[in-house]
Order: sequence, then structure tokens, then C-alpha cells
Amino acid sequence: MEDRIMSEKHPKKTPLHDWHLEHGANMAVFGGYEMPLWYPSGAKREHLAVLTGAGMFDTSHMAVIMVEGPGALTLLQACFTKNLETCIGKDKTPLVPGRCAYGVFLDDLGHVMDDAIVSQVAPDIYMIVVNAGMGGQIARHLKDHSGMSDVAIYDLTDGIGKMDIQGPMSARILAEILREPEAVFDRMVCFSFKGFFDDDSPLADAVRFSDGTPVMLSRTGYTGEFGFEIFLNPDNVERVWKIALKAGKDFGLEVCGLAARDSLRTGAVLPLSHQDIGPWPFINNPWSFALPFNDNRTDFTKRFMGEDALKNIKKMEYTYPFLGFDLRKVSLGDSTVVTDSDGAEIGVVLTCVTDMAIGRVGEIIYSVASPDKPEGFNPKGLSCGFVKVTRKLSCGDTVELKDGRRTIKVVIVDDIRPDRTARKAIKNML
Amino acid sequence: MKELEELFLPDDVQYTETHEWVRGDGGSVTVGINDYAQDQLGDIVFVELPEVGDIFEKGEEFGTLESVKAVSEICMPVSGEITAINESLEEAPELVNQEPYNDGWIIKVKPDDPDEIKTLMHSEEYVEMLKGEE
Repeated sequence: MEDRIMSEKHPKKTPLHDWHLEHGANMAVFGGYEMPLWYPSGAKREHLAVLTGAGMFDTSHMAVIMVEGPGALTLLQACFTKNLETCIGKDKTPLVPGRCAYGVFLDDLGHVMDDAIVSQVAPDIYMIVVNAGMGGQIARHLKDHSGMSDVAIYDLTDGIGKMDIQGPMSARILAEILREPEAVFDRMVCFSFKGFFDDDSPLADAVRFSDGTPVMLSRTGYTGEFGFEIFLNPDNVERVWKIALKAGKDFGLEVCGLAARDSLRTGAVLPLSHQDIGPWPFINNPWSFALPFNDNRTDFTKRFMGEDALKNIKKMEYTYPFLGFDLRKVSLGDSTVVTDSDGAEIGVVLTCVTDMAIGRVGEIIYSVASPDKPEGFNPKGLSCGFVKVTRKLSCGDTVELKDGRRTIKVVIVDDIRPDRTARKAIKNML
Repeated sequence: MKELEELFLPDDVQYTETHEWVRGDGGSVTVGINDYAQDQLGDIVFVELPEVGDIFEKGEEFGTLESVKAVSEICMPVSGEITAINESLEEAPELVNQEPYNDGWIIKVKPDDPDEIKTLMHSEEYVEMLKGEE
């Protein structure tokens, strides 16, 4: 945690920092970096752009760690919750070069240190993407548990640039500026990647921009919508950003800040590390796909750090997504509580934002991107987020969220924003 | 976000420390939030207004402004009774961002003390206050 605390006082900058200021971004410190919250177009427009056109995000604040050597898989299997031998598809095949898997790093208490995506670059070479400021801590954690095994761990914090393009137009925009878009997009499934950010690697030729810039293009992201994460040399970030912006003009591309990023990921039921997952046991939450459960959920399919703690929890807590009845939110804080229908305090609010793209029509939730949305559908948005409570609840149960000022009634749900596009077949998005 | 020099802070209103503006003479005043406040809040998506006839003290919270990210309170610049609320804000909360000093007005107040408005800041004083906060 020390890295992040130090950096809050002296925030770092991404390669696009000056560009953000020149373009009127409202800045704030997040994860030790000064980042754009929104641009003059506003967070509402940015959120909606990702649903109807495309949005581009500066994500160079995230950290990359490389884990290499014959001992790499064993180390990751021990420390990362996803079972990398059975993580691909319904046939549960192993992670192979070009594929990615989501999971978390737990400590001995079963508490989340961070969530991450692990990608296999080549046999014995893995790339881990963790959150801003977490590169040092997770790299140290892996080193501490590598023992005498033949594995090298490299913390590439601030050494890799990253930007995300998310939204239904994102492949069409990239097709305008990639050297061989047909080859790049051919059979590119969700949670796969091509190319590499290091020009010296033979993998770098797989994905280059028209000007030759090599990138690693990954069909992953944090919005729940169809899109990509782009990893590249930090020296190339500003140039590629501007090329993409120019190409995206005709497709409704908007630059987006962290406010829209937060409301989009919440509507997509994705957790924010150190807020929705953190220093409590990683169990009874919407992200059980990150744990290596067996088919009937009676046990795990591999041994991993934190497993014993998850099996021996004294005080059960449950994390649920919720949806409000209008767009009004509550503030997060120590005085914010969740109460049941009898008024008893049963828990806390982890996240509460407004998903501006959704609305209720009778009992049904639609988004602006829903193919069957009613004519004239113009939603005002709904509050949504996650609660952590001490009692088991079911979908459809209502609870109240109270901060010092306001009380809102919300309903427990298993999904928030409908008709998300992250997993759509790429051939339909070109 | 706007630099101090870019902020629009007209001279026909007075300013509070909590970034509201007040226009009018002692008998009836109009209240809204200023350009600094709307720029900092970002897109306003909902405005919670009091009822006509409600009475508040100076500094008391009379409503809230909901942005995409957060909820902020709006405070009375003077003590008094609410005589009107801007009902356009129900359908068009973005007026607070687009026209903070005109169509984005929030409430009208009959002040308890017609002279209380004189204690508020003019634009130069308000800018100095913002500089001090930097």
C-alpha cells in the first residue's frame, strides 16, 4: 500500500497528461496518478458515446508485470485464483498464447490484494495487468512466493503505455488506422489478443498501425461493451491517441474520463479493486467466475493462496448488485448504511453511481443500445452499484440505502445494464 | 476544467463562499450556482428543490445538485422564505451547467433581512477567495 499512499501526495503523470489539460479535462488524483475525470463534453455524453459509438480512455496508469520462465505457470497457479489449466471456453481448456483470463490475487486471509488479467504471450511468458499503483506490490508478492523456482518477475510500471477504445464502433475505427485489419480481427474472440508492444519481438508484426507502430491489441476492457485495450511503448501514446481521434471523428468517438469509466463498469457489474473487492474474504459476490470452483461448487479444482480461508469463514458477508428506481444516488462514507424492510442495518454501500444509459419501462430495464427498446426511449438513468450485507438476499428484494442526507429504495438484481456488447462476434462489429 | 481566468463571474450578482450567486435587491432575490461550481460538478443530471413557502437560515442546505459522479448540497446565501423554484430544471437539469446565471436559476427568496445581501462578495473578492483555496 505504501507506493500508493506516497503517490497520492506527489501524483504521477501519464504520457497524455498535458494533452488532457490542453483539452479542458477536469483532473483528479486516482491510484497515485493525475487523471482526467471528464472532458468539457461531460461525463453523461462520454458514457452514452461508449454505448452508441465509441469512447477512448487514457489507461497508462495501470501497471504491467511480466512473469517468465519454466516456473511461471506454477507460481501463477499458486497465487492467482483462476485455474489457468481450465480457463478457456465451455470445454475448459488451458490458457494458450494469445488468450487472457481474469482473476484475483488473494492473501492468506482470502482477502483481495488486487484483481488482474493474465495473458499468455508465449509458453513460459505471461503478462499480468493490475491496477494503478499495484505493480510493485503484486510483483513483490509473486517474488516472495517464487521460492527457488526458475522464474523471473519484471515490474513494468510506467514502462508500458495503454489506451482503451470501447464501444460498437471501436473495430471500425481501428480498421481505418491498422496496417492489416482483416488479419488482426480474423477470429479475434473476447479475451484474446494479438501483437506485442516491444518492436524487437517477432510477435510485434501481428498488429501495427499504418505508420508501423507495434501494439498489443487485446479484446478486453472495463466497460462491458465491445472494445479493445491497446498496449504500446509510452513514447508512442500521444501520437497514436491523436491518430485514433482523427479516425474516430466520423464514428462518434469521444474521449472519456474516469467518471464515465466508473459508471460504465458498474452498469457492467465489474468490480473496482479496493472498493468492491478488498480486505474481506472473496466469496459470495457476483465474481465467482474468478474462483476455480468445480462443477457442483463443492470444492476448488486447484490449490491456491487464500483457499483455506475461503473455506473457513466465520462471519459470512454477501455482495450484491443493486438497481435504483430513479437516478438519485447516495454518497459513500462511514455514515452510509443499508437497511432492510424492517429498518435494521444490514450492511454497507460499496459503489453507488448513475448509469445514464438505462431506464425502466414498466418492469423491464432497457438501455439506449437495446435492440428492442421502445420507440422514443430516452432514459434519465438509474442509480446502481454494489452493497455488502451480513444477510443472504435474493433478486427482487428491496433494501434502503441511507447516507446522512438521503434515503433511496433499491432492488437487489443479478445484472444491471442489459444488452451489453463485450462478447459479440467480431464479424458483426466490422 | 476552467482556469481562474476563464471563469465567467458577472458583476450583476454577488457570491458566497459555497459558490452560489445572488441577484436582486432586498425585497426579492434569485439564487443559483456560479460558473466555478458548475464546472467543478460536471454534468448536472438531477436537481432536488425545496417547496415554495419553505423557510431556511443563511448557510442552511435547501436542495441538492446531482451530477453523474456525486451529490452536492446547495446552501442559502441569505435567510428567508422560498417564493419560487425553477421548475424547468426537472426536465432540463443541464440548464444549471449551460446557463448558470440565467435560465439555470434555482430558487427565488424573500430575504428576512433585506440588507443581508450586502454582506456577500463581489466578483473580485470571490476570485481572491478562490485563489486562496488553490
